[in-house]
Amino acid sequence: MSQPSKRRYAPRDAIHTGFMRHRGFRWAKFALLLCAICIAAYAWHTPLDVPNGGTWLGYTLGGISASLIVFLTWLGVRKRRYRSSFGTLKGWTSAHVYLGFALIVISTLHTGFQFGLNIHTLTYVLMWLVVLSGIYGLVAYAKLPLEIARLHAGSTRDAWIEELLDLNEQALKLAEPLGEEVHRRVVASIEKVQIGGSLRRQLYGPKALRRSEDSRPLLQSRIESLLKLPRPTGSAVPANTVVFMAGQLGGTDKTEQELQRLQQLLELIGRRNALAGRINRDIALSARLQVWLLFHVPITFALIASLIAHVVSVFFYW
Amino acid sequence: MGTPYSIVIVGSGPAGLAAAARAAELGLSHVLLEAEAHLSHTIHRYQKGKHVMAEPSALPLRASLPFAAGKRETILQSWDEGTAKLKVKVRHGAAVTAISGTRGAFTLTLADGEAVQAECVVLAIGLQGNPRKLGCEGEDCELVQYQLDDPDEYRRETIVIVGAGDAAIENALALSTQNSVIIVNRRDDFDRAREGNRDAILKAIEQGRIRVVNNAGVASVVMSGAQRGVITLSTPQGAAPINCQRVIARLGATPPRAFIESCGIVFPSKDPNAVPAVSEHYESNVPGLYVIGALAGFPLIKQAMNQGWEVVEFIAGRNPDPADTPLLAKKFEKLPGKATVAETIERIRSRIPILSHLTPLQLREFLLDSELRTPRAGEMVFERNDYSDSFYSILDGGVFIAPKPDDVSELIPLEAGQFFGEMSLISGRRRSATVLAGEDCVLVETPRRSMNKLIASVAAVKRLLDETFLTRAIQSKIAPGLSAEDLQEVVSSASVERFKAGEILFSAGDVGDGLHLIRKGSVTVAQDIGGKETVLAYVPAGQYVGEMALLTGAARSATVKAAIATETIKLAAQPFLALLGRHPSLRNEIGATLQARAAANARAPQGKGQQQGIVQFLMQQGIGEATDVLLIDETLCIGCDHCEKACGDTHGGISRLDRKAGASFAELHVPTSCRHCEHPHCMKDCPPDAIRRAPNGEVFISDACIGCGNCEKNCPYGVIQMGVVSEKPPSLVSWLLFGGTEPGMRHDKALAKAKKTSGKQAVKCDMCKDLSGGPACVRACPTGAAIRVSPEEFIQISQGSV
Repeated sequence: MSQPSKRRYAPRDAIHTGFMRHRGFRWAKFALLLCAICIAAYAWHTPLDVPNGGTWLGYTLGGISASLIVFLTWLGVRKRRYRSSFGTLKGWTSAHVYLGFALIVISTLHTGFQFGLNIHTLTYVLMWLVVLSGIYGLVAYAKLPLEIARLHAGSTRDAWIEELLDLNEQALKLAEPLGEEVHRRVVASIEKVQIGGSLRRQLYGPKALRRSEDSRPLLQSRIESLLKLPRPTGSAVPANTVVFMAGQLGGTDKTEQELQRLQQLLELIGRRNALAGRINRDIALSARLQVWLLFHVPITFALIASLIAHVVSVFFYW
Repeated sequence: MGTPYSIVIVGSGPAGLAAAARAAELGLSHVLLEAEAHLSHTIHRYQKGKHVMAEPSALPLRASLPFAAGKRETILQSWDEGTAKLKVKVRHGAAVTAISGTRGAFTLTLADGEAVQAECVVLAIGLQGNPRKLGCEGEDCELVQYQLDDPDEYRRETIVIVGAGDAAIENALALSTQNSVIIVNRRDDFDRAREGNRDAILKAIEQGRIRVVNNAGVASVVMSGAQRGVITLSTPQGAAPINCQRVIARLGATPPRAFIESCGIVFPSKDPNAVPAVSEHYESNVPGLYVIGALAGFPLIKQAMNQGWEVVEFIAGRNPDPADTPLLAKKFEKLPGKATVAETIERIRSRIPILSHLTPLQLREFLLDSELRTPRAGEMVFERNDYSDSFYSILDGGVFIAPKPDDVSELIPLEAGQFFGEMSLISGRRRSATVLAGEDCVLVETPRRSMNKLIASVAAVKRLLDETFLTRAIQSKIAPGLSAEDLQEVVSSASVERFKAGEILFSAGDVGDGLHLIRKGSVTVAQDIGGKETVLAYVPAGQYVGEMALLTGAARSATVKAAIATETIKLAAQPFLALLGRHPSLRNEIGATLQARAAANARAPQGKGQQQGIVQFLMQQGIGEATDVLLIDETLCIGCDHCEKACGDTHGGISRLDRKAGASFAELHVPTSCRHCEHPHCMKDCPPDAIRRAPNGEVFISDACIGCGNCEKNCPYGVIQMGVVSEKPPSLVSWLLFGGTEPGMRHDKALAKAKKTSGKQAVKCDMCKDLSGGPACVRACPTGAAIRVSPEEFIQISQGSV
């Protein structure tokens, strides 16, 4: 017999909300509450000495901070457990962000505002670095996807690259009958088109072409010199594609034909360069979307190592 | 003319071969006629090394030749050996062009004009048909072939491909990497081909990788040396000879139906899927002319071989129990009493009127596919809003239909002999009511595919289902107070209308002459607002449009267009108005119902231009036939591909979705991923019936898949792939500690291992029906960009309210 149907998704209101607004800001509220309790406790507590990590409240705040760090790091594990039904990854990301903010507050209270050149402050600083890189990531996640989507406008980078290769091929075909010089320059310009590359290039785009590497000035000057030649009679007809086609078919007017080819080639290379620019822009945006993880994740590991050292040393000297 | 053979078998596929082998074993005078130079042409044409499966695994094999799952080569070899050992008399190159006569005196005419006499004829020519030939001088010379098995076999040849369909294009593209290819097209476009193929061939032509000759026919093919010749094309400019090493003609196939009808065999309906009706001894309406195998509607190798064996037994005057008897006996075990299989089948036939139109063989097949259910009194058979689509006939006892799940006071009883579940079967949508079992209830539950096969083959079943569908639809949606008798006249005046995607049902301003109940597909309702067509609503199957015509006869207020291929039942206004005239109290009641609906429509929020554009965009993406679709909000998507990784990790290493592929509009992206269509295209032609729909709506492929690739070809959205599934996903712990493959990434080692032990199978999204918590792609999205939505939610998405 059929089983009764059950709604397999999250409740209705959660079908389409981003991770920041997950379940009506559930984790934001929780993080705020946690911070409020800690701040209140800190204000209420009057230690024998100055406030520091060694009081009972200090240990408690330290314990909470350390647990938060472990929990926040666990996102890396949870997101690879694709079978897990322990919350959704969206919920975990939401909790990660808001509890990450709470960590700043709680760990700062844990320091009691005592800093020095020691492993304890190093841990604190590393934590800030992780959180700051995370904040960059948050901003990137909030802004860049829309920018990328608008840039793509329904197309994809793969399609662009294919189109680019296509244009290159067409350019070569057009250049072939235009003499060795043009052909060589077009080949060179194809070789000079740079897509992606090192991280720096990905982020900031390839180096600008030197003038000698750009085939367009040559084409432009060839066109100009051709235009200076005496025009054939009846050139009242505008030099348009129809004339070009007719010239090609008839094979009568070599100059007119070459002129048309050069102009076509020029336009094609312009289009190609614009496309390469768009591809590099896309690569730059994607790189900016991900580059922060190169800091966020390794510093997290450094933070955990430092945290262990901090905890061990505290208990060793106790 | 010699003495007639006792049996002449036409076609040496699994069915024909098994029949010939049994005839040889029994020492009957026989001949097996095969058009090709080898046995089993269809299986011979499988690609090299293909793993052939032996479904259904429960069915025992009963044949004089061996057959077990294995490589194509092994199977063909064992048949060749078996045929030789039994001294089966085979005539190759004997294409039969006509069969005439009747039992005891058949004449078969061969392509070369020779006539063969026979007492009985067994037709086992399958469904593949004969490839259409060039129809010119040299069409059968060595240069010409009508099939391409392995494009990698040919290098540096000049190959002329004739045809402009999918097969021709696919061959041309595959060959063009290593050969010089010229494609010859009778017209000047490739509009007959699928869009993907069309784009690919046009691009290849534009880039000069393939040359094309348009508006051309083939005048002749002449050999000019060993594997070298000249094909002469007739073009508008005159004759054009081309030197080439090979001509591949892909001109489609002549369907076998015309030939079969010319033998005097009658098909039960015009439906292209219909198969000839045969008796339980596989005898057609022409006495002595037997039809077995795929042609009789049994596409699987094992079934076909069993039939080959059985048909010869019947012809020899013996009467063995069909091979499926033990399977049926097992199914009937649940039934009270100790009737034999034959008695039970007869009882089912006599008690359930809709099944009485079936031939005994059809009924056996139908029961093999079906399950007998004996629910306790009060047990739920299915619940309203379930996605199940099987069909139930009541053998004993009865059931109660509860249209309103919370209100048990309004139960509609159905008695033995009646049926239910036809609504979801026809519309492809969720169950419209809950059904509860009565006392001593015995039900026959039949899967959708078997039912559709039956509808295609038995006209009476189709008519009965259509009428019942319409009566019940009117009763449940428009006029609850009317009995089936009241509605008789109205129903008989109704007509089924079909619309292509984009076709208009009616336009604003037209005279309202009736109501359209959408039986299949979906429509959009649009109005002209400020000179621009604006889609106001999407109406799925099971609902109706144009209802105001039944009351007022006023002009249409909106334009209604089919979003996808749609079937409606059109209810003319006149007979309905006459009916209301006889039941004045109903008039007000129905008026109120329809007015309320009209008011609700008017209240529907009207979005801005772009948002309305989204509905049109979604419809263009085929979402009009979806039941659940994956959408990605590009303003949230960070391109981490976690959706794909999660899919691969939870599904044997193959992601069933392609995030990047697919169209976007207004920051809404429709990735390449299964939409779980109302009427899944993939289910159309699955020989082992491995594609099913789960109660929650998931369309999935079971382990019975034989890897034939039909579903991959039939899916218009490209969401099915053929692949090898590896059981073990990469381990998270081992990756963390020792490196290696990260979870969610391609696990090459496991895949290589899996490849050794299993063949390729079709894989597609199953909406993670076996995982708790719902689809992994959505659960793994860190930002909430990936969502799965049902049709009811599309409009809300478009209005930005979800």
